[in-house]
Amino acid sequence: MDKKFYITKEGLERLKKEYETLKALRLSKVEGESPKIFHSEDINIEYLAFKEDMELLESRLLELDYILKNYILITKPPKEKQDIVDIGATVTLEDEDGLINEFMLVGSLEANPSEGKISIESPVGRALLGKRVGDEVAITSPISVKYRIKKIKYEIS
Amino acid sequence: MTNVNSNLEFLVEVQKLKEIPRTGLVWLGVPNPPSVADHTFRVAVSSWVLGKKMGLKIEKMIKTALSHDLCEVYGGDKTPFWGLLPDDEKKRKERLKRWIRLPLEEKKKRSEEEFEEEKKIFMKLLELANSELKKEIFSYWVDYKKNLTKEGKIFLQIDKMEGMLEALENLDQKDYDYVTPWWEEAEELITDSFLTLFYKVIQNKFYSPKAKIEEKIFGFGLKKELEKILDFILEIGKLKRMPRLYWVLRGVKNPETVAGHMFTLALMAWVFGREKRNLNQEKLLKMAICHEMSAVYTGDTTPYDRILPKDEDERRKILKKMIRLSKKEKEWIFLADYQTEKKAMEKLTQNLDSTIRKEILELWHEYRTRSSLEAKFLGELNILAVLLQGLIYEKKYKEFISAPLWEWAFESCTDEVCLSLMEEMKKKFYG
Repeated sequence: MDKKFYITKEGLERLKKEYETLKALRLSKVEGESPKIFHSEDINIEYLAFKEDMELLESRLLELDYILKNYILITKPPKEKQDIVDIGATVTLEDEDGLINEFMLVGSLEANPSEGKISIESPVGRALLGKRVGDEVAITSPISVKYRIKKIKYEIS
Repeated sequence: MTNVNSNLEFLVEVQKLKEIPRTGLVWLGVPNPPSVADHTFRVAVSSWVLGKKMGLKIEKMIKTALSHDLCEVYGGDKTPFWGLLPDDEKKRKERLKRWIRLPLEEKKKRSEEEFEEEKKIFMKLLELANSELKKEIFSYWVDYKKNLTKEGKIFLQIDKMEGMLEALENLDQKDYDYVTPWWEEAEELITDSFLTLFYKVIQNKFYSPKAKIEEKIFGFGLKKELEKILDFILEIGKLKRMPRLYWVLRGVKNPETVAGHMFTLALMAWVFGREKRNLNQEKLLKMAICHEMSAVYTGDTTPYDRILPKDEDERRKILKKMIRLSKKEKEWIFLADYQTEKKAMEKLTQNLDSTIRKEILELWHEYRTRSSLEAKFLGELNILAVLLQGLIYEKKYKEFISAPLWEWAFESCTDEVCLSLMEEMKKKFYG
């Protein structure tokens, strides 16, 4: 069975744009020209590596092609389920010292913990899934850290 | 060779990473902590060994490792706690017992701010490199910072693991509370099941070595294999604290470590190996980070240490000159060293998976016997890596003389790129 990729609408747009750009790059490489996109000053820096390396470019294109055929768009759950933590939720937590911590739960493709976006496949993500406001969550390896869920929001389209 | 010229400036600046200590360990009061360069070396080795098990692109992993902390040349080793710690030492240490808790908006803002600031500093450093190299290094860094590709994502997880290992290795068990933030961060970050298991092995080793991990979650033989990889990574870590004997014998304070030297050579292999299109770049990088691994058991050696007399004046005289040996003596030393180092390499890799073990041993053998084009080129670059470090020390310490290193380089280098690099070094350091 094919692996499925959870992705937000915003993330999907970004991947589609990357896919189109890399396809244009491949075509121009085959034709021996530098594509227009690389003449621009504000070129998206993430594509630079692919400019250097054809093998890297091909494997990224394959990866993107696979993702774009196997994605599941993250959408808001129905109103009656919005008090439960699911993918796409922004969860506000309070630790034992009263400090507030917040995460947005996304798929691994879009996870970036330094921005607060954590994957549902991470230990914290897994511990939060299915919980409701008031529930306690313990993250336990190797020292237990306890949180109480203060708020659950869905700020996705 | 304009590329060699501009890239030398870049390389010289990057050497500063050998003198920048890991901030997290400084805060925790660890004496003489490893440098950013030391850290980079081991995270490159870990990325190779673990990346191979995970089927990742190893050249990309090693290049990401070499790029990931370069901006610290000008920015210092900035930790994720920036701006959040109190000045008071006691309060700061207390705060370091837990990971960062912040609202989402603030996390995003800090992340963007950090990226922009680091990018600015990084560009200042990369201005010293030629444009092709600049683009390449920058794109690996962006991949890591922005979690773009599989390699970028996994590298970030391995980098954080390396930080945690540094803390566990350098702290007493009674102070393991300070390692909690690394665990908390890992729990937000790790998505790969292989690395999740590897973290379990780390936990088992440092916190409860007697407790049994359920074998079922690992699958057949995997737990043992991961334990062996961890042991290997920990053994390699000894090189981060092993000063290079050549500098020690000449009285250099806080000299470069064996790990720091391998970091430089790997970077040189990348920077100057680009000029050698006929060479296998991945092989060059791997060879650079394994060429002196045997020092884990043999300690660092130089041709001088076995002939030095006890008399101080005599010693000083000998150390100022290039060592003179007959052909027979050279052959004897080579064979003796080769055999000792081979045994050390076999011991170091004995428990690794047979594929990676074979690869490391073959690369080391090739380098030691200069039996491939890559090994020949790297052998010459190695001399220039030592010369470069010597020139930096000569500038810093009046009494240090790099003449024997020049002699060594003149005697040994024949490659066109290496000869141009020597010329550029002469111009840069002597005008």
